[in-house]
Amino acid sequence: MEEVRVGVFVCDCGSNIAGVVDVPDVVKYANTLDHVVVADEGKWSCSVDYLNKLKDIIREKEVNRVVVASCTPRTHEPLFKRATRDAGVNPYLLEFVSIREQVSWVHMKEPEIATQKAKDLIKMGVAKAVLLEEGHEIKLPVKTDCMIIGGGAAGMSAALQVASQEFNTYLVEKEPELGGLLNDLCFLSYDGHNIPAGRIAGSLVERVEAHPHITIFKGTRIQSVEGYIGNYKVVLNTGNGEPGNLDISTIIVATGMQEIKPEGQFEYGNHPQVVTQLEFEKLLKDKALGANKHVVMINCVNSKNDVRGCCNLGCHVSVKNALAVRKLQKDASVHILYRDLSMIREEGRYLEKAKKLGIKFLRFPDDQYPRVSIEDDGLSVKTRDILLGRDFTLSADIVVLTTAFMGSDTVDEIKGQLKVSANTDKYFQEAHVKLGPLEFPADGIALSGCAKSPLFFKEASEEGIGAAMRASIPMKNGFIEAEGIVAYIDDAECNQCGLCAKRCPFNAIVTDEEKHPEVIQALCKGCGLCSADCPQECIQIIHYSDDQVLAQVDAALEENAEKKIIGFVCHWCALGGVDMAGVSRLQYPANARLIRVMCSARVSIRMIQRAYEKGAAGVLVAGCEFPTCHYITGNYEAEKRVKRAKRKLAKQGFDPEKLWITWCSAADGPKFANTMRDMIKELDL
Amino acid sequence: MSDAILVVGGGIAGINCAMNVAEYGRKVYLIDDTPSIGGMMARLDKTFPTNDCSICIEAPQMFDVDNHENIEILTNTELKKVKKTKDGFVVRLVSKAKYVDEEACTGCGACVEACPVSIPDEMDGKIGGTRKLVSMAFPQAVPNVVTVDPRCRYGEMQAEGACIGGCAVDCSQCRECPIALCVKACEKEGKKAIELWQANKNKKLEVKSIVVATGLRDAPPGGDLIDYHAYDNVITNMEFERLMNAGGPTAGHIIRPSDQKHAENIAWIQCAGRGLGKEKGTPYCSKICCMISAKQTIITKEHDASVAATIFYNDLKAYGKGFWGFYTKANENGVRYVKGRPYTVTENPDTRDLTLRYESLDSGDIKSETFDLVVLATGVIPNNRNEKLAKILGLDLDHLGWFKEKDPMMAPLKTNVDGIYLCGGSTGPIDIAESVAQACAASMRAILA
Repeated sequence: MEEVRVGVFVCDCGSNIAGVVDVPDVVKYANTLDHVVVADEGKWSCSVDYLNKLKDIIREKEVNRVVVASCTPRTHEPLFKRATRDAGVNPYLLEFVSIREQVSWVHMKEPEIATQKAKDLIKMGVAKAVLLEEGHEIKLPVKTDCMIIGGGAAGMSAALQVASQEFNTYLVEKEPELGGLLNDLCFLSYDGHNIPAGRIAGSLVERVEAHPHITIFKGTRIQSVEGYIGNYKVVLNTGNGEPGNLDISTIIVATGMQEIKPEGQFEYGNHPQVVTQLEFEKLLKDKALGANKHVVMINCVNSKNDVRGCCNLGCHVSVKNALAVRKLQKDASVHILYRDLSMIREEGRYLEKAKKLGIKFLRFPDDQYPRVSIEDDGLSVKTRDILLGRDFTLSADIVVLTTAFMGSDTVDEIKGQLKVSANTDKYFQEAHVKLGPLEFPADGIALSGCAKSPLFFKEASEEGIGAAMRASIPMKNGFIEAEGIVAYIDDAECNQCGLCAKRCPFNAIVTDEEKHPEVIQALCKGCGLCSADCPQECIQIIHYSDDQVLAQVDAALEENAEKKIIGFVCHWCALGGVDMAGVSRLQYPANARLIRVMCSARVSIRMIQRAYEKGAAGVLVAGCEFPTCHYITGNYEAEKRVKRAKRKLAKQGFDPEKLWITWCSAADGPKFANTMRDMIKELDL
Repeated sequence: MSDAILVVGGGIAGINCAMNVAEYGRKVYLIDDTPSIGGMMARLDKTFPTNDCSICIEAPQMFDVDNHENIEILTNTELKKVKKTKDGFVVRLVSKAKYVDEEACTGCGACVEACPVSIPDEMDGKIGGTRKLVSMAFPQAVPNVVTVDPRCRYGEMQAEGACIGGCAVDCSQCRECPIALCVKACEKEGKKAIELWQANKNKKLEVKSIVVATGLRDAPPGGDLIDYHAYDNVITNMEFERLMNAGGPTAGHIIRPSDQKHAENIAWIQCAGRGLGKEKGTPYCSKICCMISAKQTIITKEHDASVAATIFYNDLKAYGKGFWGFYTKANENGVRYVKGRPYTVTENPDTRDLTLRYESLDSGDIKSETFDLVVLATGVIPNNRNEKLAKILGLDLDHLGWFKEKDPMMAPLKTNVDGIYLCGGSTGPIDIAESVAQACAASMRAILA
């Protein structure tokens, strides 16, 4: 085996580090550590000059493990990774130690203690570096075959974009015709302009059907989907009864939504003249209002209640359809009974127009819906208007219920086939509510339109185009690439329990018939949840293996363990909070020795236990503040595991109260500093 | 001709647009006219309806665009002239001097510490945050370098005690400054990153297409009904956002401006400034304010459950996924929703408390109630640079000042100029998730241009 030769590079950061920490002393100390062949001090390690020097030293001293002790990996790791690679060393053989944010900036008044802490952190870094293994970015080939599920506004918009890149586009629609909800609408309105829905649908369908790169499957459902990005095997249940087999690279879900029929409410189902907006829209479209002169609309039906929220569309739709009634029949009367009017931007003017035309708006109380009764000569609606403070009885030829929507019935099947989740209203759950609206956690599946939540036509089209972008990136590149921090499984130790495959939030672990798990490394995000949960301890994460983390724990606790706190901090938020405390120069006690992990879910009970066994004064697990987690729910898993760890530690005779957890946002430096102070106080250090 | 794409505006829409284009394999220029990318989202504490910490989720994306080999970030940079050619655009930019060598500055902050002059931080308005004349936009700024206030360099801050003192020499003439404390502090650190003599730099780019992601801004408070300017303890919701931010000037303590006392009884007023005419407010619903207030009240209650939080509203906008549940959560946490719009406020000169008079829509009664802090949900308005930008780019604005799509229904996000596309707050009031979705779509448009 190759001799391990560690180079340690300690930064002064001008006086930012060197003004507090005795850097020459630290360098001298680093030189005494096992496997260290060179240690050097740099005034500004990140300067071009010093980076060149660093590369020269690596080459000259044949360094094959690099430890950089300077600011924070959150900002500067990529730079030193590049330098390491340029010097001919695999960049995964770099370990980054933070002695500015974690030492000199937060222990400014205790130079000796700070220097000792810097030494400890470097010792821990070297201990880990010795055990580091090479990592490689992992590529998975992706071809250019995209399946789009759903041929409505979003699906057709997506298809046109994907196909215009000359990618093979397969559009699967369960109905006999393309168009989705557009086919049921009379006209669409935006910023006060009306366009017949038929014209829009017609134009889209025509372009989609004529496109040479789009293959359309009408009246078709998905029978099964196996595989992952770049490698999906799809079986279709086609309209003509013949099975269709497709090899698919990426998938766009655009399954749309459906109106919730308000059976039994407001006499719907009991009287033919009580209809939904969508049913009413059909009458408008066919210009078949007939003798319906008095129209009463009731908004917020089946929405804004304990079960579901605002329907997003109803206020706009009711005003739009009220104006359509008046256009067809000048002498018709329309009453809109509403709770809140959700009219944004230009819709305010739309509303003014409706009021000017004599459309009446009555605002009923949130807890007192109008009542519809069937009379001999038609329908009667009783309601209260809170603005006028009085009751009204309206006689109606037709009552229109503005009812809420829910996802398509096919969602139940599809969510199982794609291994994704949906809520109780059959709307799919996106990867991240704010920053990942058009995709699922698993790579290769994009999400768009009303399959996610109710949208207007324009928004749905935009989402279709956006989802096409998300699906096109890997197809254009021909591959997806994962960072080398990924899981791998020791098959010899694995007992095929299947837990890892079930737990992986990214569907990156697949099992064969005998439940042998395999990590599709290109899909792995490296969170380490599987590793920490594996009962056989046979899953490791490159750059965060059990051995490496335990070596850091051991190194930290070699001396004065009874005064030290081992802190496992997640890279994304907790370390962000630590850095923020540093940037804000918050001074806190220097007892903690922090170990970075990608996610708090990586911290196994074994790691915590090791710190206890080595006599640590306390252990801290710090992750992202709920609900934020870079790996979806890692912090929730970590919380559960810490509870289990406490029970286990108590059984072994350890004091579980020494194990702390904190959830800290990257903006919350004070929280981290306070946690440190609290721990010192409570642990009596 | 270059196939690069120019993204104008480095907020969350611009960042996502740039990242998509770069991942697709195309070169991107991401420009922003402020010293850092990040935009509005970097100013927020939390985001609705999940209460995700805003900078926690945005900063990793900011680092990613900074490190992407296909993306070139140009901050403090404005469009000067754009000429359409046969197959793209020739763009002339001006990068305003930061008076700092961006390559040499490490963001260590020694100069900031040395600077003798603190001025009010624009970001913090009334709640009293300050910054130095040389400062970092915010701790996670990308690029992570400081910027020197140009007023300092031109000697305009002498009266405030700027270190340039009586120096009569124009900074542009000196290469070695013996006076400026920031220069000295930097040199003491062994660097020469502060360059007070820097001039603006012009740059010419050739690009295939352009995405306008210039965002929106919070409407300034009007002076009409609830007088923001007359009463210290009336603040805007963006100021409240900074107040509750652990990284803000009060380290997350919700205290009122007049006496720094913890606010115990806070009122939020929705639609503050709505329908007051173009000069004074928003003549339309900004749609996001209801959820901003729900968020702020929930966080306030989480900080301290004993604080009373009351929201005066008219029509509740809970238009997005999970928004109604968020409103319900506010209710469950003890936030009081009152249907009614206050029409006058008076201050008790001794306590500095504020008494609101309002008509309850539920009962029709005129009521009055006293609070120790009042937060105005002022809405959002078009960016004040839209007009200038529209002229440079040849784009149409609508009558409110938002950028206009040529055919919003049939060709969303396309403008009257082929090859220029829109996303995010440039199109109108919008939330973060919608901005990100539009950014994905605009990047597709720009690539296929």
